[in-house]
Amino acid sequence: MAQILVVDDSGTVRNEVSDFLKANGLTVTPAVDGKDGLDKLKSDPGIKLVISDVNMPNMDGITMSEKIRSELNNNAVNIIILTTENNPAMKERGKAAGIKGWIVKPFNGEAVISTLKKLVA
Amino acid sequence: MNISHRITILIALTFVAIFSIGGYSIVQSLHNATEVKSVTEGVVPSALASADLVSQLKDVQQAVFTVVTDPDDKVAALSMEKLAAKKKQLQQSLALQGKQADNDKQRGLVKEAEESMNNYFQAIEETTNFKLTGQKELAEASLSASVAQYQIELEAIVSTLRVEKNRSKDTAIEALNKSLSNTVNIVSLVTLLTIIVLSIFGVVLYRQITRPISKMQLMMSEIASSQDFTRRVPVERQDEIGRSIVAFNSMIEKIQESSGLLKQKTTDIQTMLQNMPQGILTIAGNNQVHAEYSAYLETIFETSDIAGRDMMDLVFSHTNLGADVLSQVEAVGGACIGEDLMNFEFNQHLMVGQIEKTMPDGRVKILELNWSPITDGADTTIRLLLCVRDVTELRKLAAEANEKKRELEIIGEILAVRQEKFHEFITSAIKFIDENELIIRKTMTQNEEALTQLFRNMHTVKGNARTYGLHHLTNHIHEAENTYQELRKPAPDIAWDQDMLLKQLAEVRARVAHYASINDVSLGRKGQGRGDVERYLMVDKQAIQETIKRLANANPNSLQDLVAAQDAAHKALQLLGTEPIGEALDSVLESLPSLANELGKLPPMIEIEDNGYVVVSQSASTLKNIFMHLMRNSIDHGLEIPAWRTAQNKPASGRISLRLEAVQDMLQISLSDDGRGLALARIRELALERKLISEADTVSDEEIAQLIFRPGFSTAEKVTEVSGRGVGMDAVQNFVKREQGSISIRFTDDAAGAEFRGFETVVCLPITFAKHVDGFNYRQYDQSAGNLVAADFGDSGDTAKTADSATLKQA
Repeated sequence: MAQILVVDDSGTVRNEVSDFLKANGLTVTPAVDGKDGLDKLKSDPGIKLVISDVNMPNMDGITMSEKIRSELNNNAVNIIILTTENNPAMKERGKAAGIKGWIVKPFNGEAVISTLKKLVA
Repeated sequence: MNISHRITILIALTFVAIFSIGGYSIVQSLHNATEVKSVTEGVVPSALASADLVSQLKDVQQAVFTVVTDPDDKVAALSMEKLAAKKKQLQQSLALQGKQADNDKQRGLVKEAEESMNNYFQAIEETTNFKLTGQKELAEASLSASVAQYQIELEAIVSTLRVEKNRSKDTAIEALNKSLSNTVNIVSLVTLLTIIVLSIFGVVLYRQITRPISKMQLMMSEIASSQDFTRRVPVERQDEIGRSIVAFNSMIEKIQESSGLLKQKTTDIQTMLQNMPQGILTIAGNNQVHAEYSAYLETIFETSDIAGRDMMDLVFSHTNLGADVLSQVEAVGGACIGEDLMNFEFNQHLMVGQIEKTMPDGRVKILELNWSPITDGADTTIRLLLCVRDVTELRKLAAEANEKKRELEIIGEILAVRQEKFHEFITSAIKFIDENELIIRKTMTQNEEALTQLFRNMHTVKGNARTYGLHHLTNHIHEAENTYQELRKPAPDIAWDQDMLLKQLAEVRARVAHYASINDVSLGRKGQGRGDVERYLMVDKQAIQETIKRLANANPNSLQDLVAAQDAAHKALQLLGTEPIGEALDSVLESLPSLANELGKLPPMIEIEDNGYVVVSQSASTLKNIFMHLMRNSIDHGLEIPAWRTAQNKPASGRISLRLEAVQDMLQISLSDDGRGLALARIRELALERKLISEADTVSDEEIAQLIFRPGFSTAEKVTEVSGRGVGMDAVQNFVKREQGSISIRFTDDAAGAEFRGFETVVCLPITFAKHVDGFNYRQYDQSAGNLVAADFGDSGDTAKTADSATLKQA
């Protein structure tokens, strides 16, 4: 059981984000790509928030978000995407998939922690 | 009357009409029923009964005939009984007819019939009696004579009665029919009338309701489509429609109010956007700049092509931001706009707060950026609000103010050290720096001994600086000392680098030189020191402290604050090492009252008009030497004794005026008095005596006046203790010339050739003798206290000096 699923193929980002969240008293499950993320989310109903990268092997973050809604029928979990670019097409898809937040990299935990805590409360 | 009343009346009327028609019909029906009854039960049976009379009469006749003619007595007797019964029946029928008689005629006929019947029955009785008595022939004769006669008579009457009854019956039936058809006609007519009246009433009511409603609807639609909220629907009625219109009008009034308010707000915002000295723009989706922005934005970005531009291009092109930061900024816009407000919080830290933007002509503007989200009701960020402030000037001023502050702090530090001590410190510091430079230049590689010496020297300089509280210097020395310390370590982080060390040392030397230069130039404390300056400078130390405080407290975001603080610092710095002329000459001015007394004159008033000039402290002694002579001359030669002055309508005490100004890059100090003037006649006389001029020469007043600068030339009636000691104007002139200056006499009146002429003595000295301080007002000189009493640092800069505003003090 964890509160947050962190999906990123980069171990550095994954660990950095996870460590920061753990240091702030949150529980975290890591996943290495979209596919892994879907599996982890399926097996852990306690997850309330998914923080995911966009570009990943096997399955990207946006597709994963779409599948969370359509295949897992999970409309409750909040999804936040870590992004680096301003891509209107991607945002359009994200909106349809009910993505709640966009955090532009680099991830600055201090600036977002209070809002993240509200999302898992 | 309102509409519901009208409708109620219409319904009530309808009911009344229905009831009236119904009621009338019922009454008529009842009446007709009675009529019918009287016809069917009265007139008709009576008519029928009248017909019966005839047959009854026949029956009687039959019976009589039988009685009379029948030979059988039994039959006759039976007919006799029958006759009696028939007779009774006929009598009854006739009686009934009498009862049912409608009119007099019928009643007359009945009566006639009764009479006739009585006669008839009497004849019958006579006849029957004849029969009964056996007189058969007599009976038969009577029967055919009197009985038949009465019978015919009675038959005729009864027949007439029957006709009469039939006529009566026909009349009754006809009347009944008429009455029935009347009823039908009246009811039909009344119904028709009612329908017409109700229809008219209904139509009127309908019109009264629909017309104003459609009129109201029309006007409302007009107002709605024209958006002209100043119009009102006229209220012509007090009913429901009238009340609707009143409600509508009050709604329009509210709309007018709020639309007016909205208009006013829009205008206000537009005006603000047009006039605020700040750039404001909003950014919509795709980082596009919205068409509404503040006019000042065009000034900041120096372009009017703003609406619809890409924010990245308008704001962030040609800035100091790297490509990576730019892509972040771009992504941040996309991540926030059209998304939940939380995304603004997520990414706010990436929104750049300050940029340096290079304009097309190469100027660099420092722009401060302030981001805020504009959200809709659902907390979705619909646009980003970006406030742009051009802080180039502000940053420059802040940097300058900081520099000024630093300088003032250094001055404060220096002033806290006695002049001799400071001099000693600088001398020793330079000695140690020289020594270190020599060591560094000699040493090519790392050398323990050299480093120890370098460190010791620098440590000593630092110690001294710290002892004297020269903190700004200490910091720099500390850096050099640290470097030496690091190099002395077994495994230093840095290597011996001659160039670097020399550069660092040069930096320290420059700092020390800066301190020395402030001490020497700004504070005028060059050398070993001069006691009285020290006292004066101590006074201004407070001003410096106040100025430092003002600089420290200045809001770095307020241009006004910074400018004010900088002005104050500027003034404070300019005033350092200077003093007002009144103060520089205080010992001279103090000596004037006693001199005046010796000469039997009143102490003069001293008027100083400095026009914002203060004299540098180093020139004080020169000025004293010059003006000691000139002022004493004024009192001795110029000002008259009180009695003499009073006689000429002058104030008993004389006035000496001093005016400072800059003329052709020279400081010009003009001295004048309100005495009798220059004794030109007496000078000419003396010049002739001494054969400096001859009677034949045409000598101008100016040339005559120039003679007073000749050595040993004095006009005093007798050699006074004051000015006739041989150190005359020639000595003063020599003194002035030594200072690269000049002295001259300038007449102030047009009385050429007069015995006495008004004049002023004009002393010109190099401008370095004084400083002009903006916004500095002349200082009042209060001779009795011998002190500075007021210094006005007013920021209005009103340095205008008039004779009126100049200060007069009783000397």
